[in-house]
Amino acid sequence: MNNSVAIGAPSVGVLFAFWRGSGMEDRMNRATDPGPSDDLAALMRSVARGDSGAFRLVYDRTSAKMYGICLRLLGSEAEAQDVLQEVYVTVWRKAAQFDAAKASPITWLGVMARNRAIDRLRQRRGGGEQLDAAADIPDDGPLATAVIEQEQDSRRLAHCLDELEERTRTMIRAAFLDGASYPELAEREGVPLGTMKSWIRRGLLRLRGCLEQ
Amino acid sequence: MTDKRHPDEERQALAAEHALGLLSGEDERRARELAASEPDFAREVARWRGRLAPLAGELEPVDPPPSTWKRIAVSIEPPEAGSNVIRLHRKITMWRGATAGMTALAAALGGVLVLQPRGVPPPVVTPQPAAPPMVAMLSNDQKDMKVMASWNPATRQLVLAVAGDMPPDTTHAHELWVIPAGGKPRSLGTMGDSKQMHMRLADAIASLMESGATVAISVEPPGGSPTGSPTGPVIASGSLTRA
Repeated sequence: MNNSVAIGAPSVGVLFAFWRGSGMEDRMNRATDPGPSDDLAALMRSVARGDSGAFRLVYDRTSAKMYGICLRLLGSEAEAQDVLQEVYVTVWRKAAQFDAAKASPITWLGVMARNRAIDRLRQRRGGGEQLDAAADIPDDGPLATAVIEQEQDSRRLAHCLDELEERTRTMIRAAFLDGASYPELAEREGVPLGTMKSWIRRGLLRLRGCLEQ
Repeated sequence: MTDKRHPDEERQALAAEHALGLLSGEDERRARELAASEPDFAREVARWRGRLAPLAGELEPVDPPPSTWKRIAVSIEPPEAGSNVIRLHRKITMWRGATAGMTALAAALGGVLVLQPRGVPPPVVTPQPAAPPMVAMLSNDQKDMKVMASWNPATRQLVLAVAGDMPPDTTHAHELWVIPAGGKPRSLGTMGDSKQMHMRLADAIASLMESGATVAISVEPPGGSPTGSPTGPVIASGSLTRA
């Protein structure tokens, strides 16, 4: 078997010289011009066009919020930083999938940060539980794990949570804010797992009923 | 733990639990499969994300250390010259090692391609005469041949040979596409700076690699097209033909 390299074609440098000299590069540069807008949603559109300056601005304006979410869920600075990195690398690659009509950029980022952090918690609990069968693949395909339908008004959510039994409300909040799992919640309350599940399921369906009124 | 008496309600509860992150193990797996296969379920999960999202507003912001930005900035940079193919993990699997089949194919192509084994054990290759190897010469309008793609349907392996060095381009990526006759472009991944790339294509993509399909390279933002379709200019293209 021959291990040496023998290429029988002209230099590829010519190819790139071709496109550099053809005006294509100018067109690309114009297409990635960020524009003057300060708006976070507009910045996301620039990120979707590959504008790294806009990406830095998005990071500067949102990373403390995202780090707060990751840190609360994971309780470890090192892990929270790992997740933060994953989230923003995904933002860089998937910014085009952000839908400003459905949610604010902060919400979209928050859903991604929370999902990633909870995946980590699951792996930690399950001793490396792998869910790749249907897991979201960060670099490929639509970002199914961060699709959001119409963001809820926060006052309305607070009102509907208040309508629930206090115990159920506390459990739902602990699941959201601390990433508490069913077994952890059951243990916390000293009730069987099945009891905890039926409390929360009933609470969630009631919450939905109230929000949809 | 599923409530078999009310399948709809059970499913709606599952969507809520999945969005809230309460599930693990088999239940989580099932929810992910439903989310991937059933649009109604996926929509209900998305609605729950929207319903619960304001709760995140209760969490205090915490400034991450400056080192985090540095790590992010490094990981979105396109690959350095010589660092070889791919920081992105597209549907394809990159094979950096040469394989017996590809070396044989290279020999069959008159020594234009000679591959460098790099320690990945070659898979067992059983050539199937029914599916002949194909090649595409990718060129620009001036017909300067620059990149040769060799496709072996039997092993689902695609090899690209680039003449000379691709200059490092820190602002763009070069993304490879297959365009079936009359069809839409499908990404095969972005190209690195190495002279050869080996990819094993997934079945769904491999089925598009038919005689008459076009293979093309476009200029994209670092990391590849954000939309799944070419967004920048096509710098080279060619048709697949039987070798």
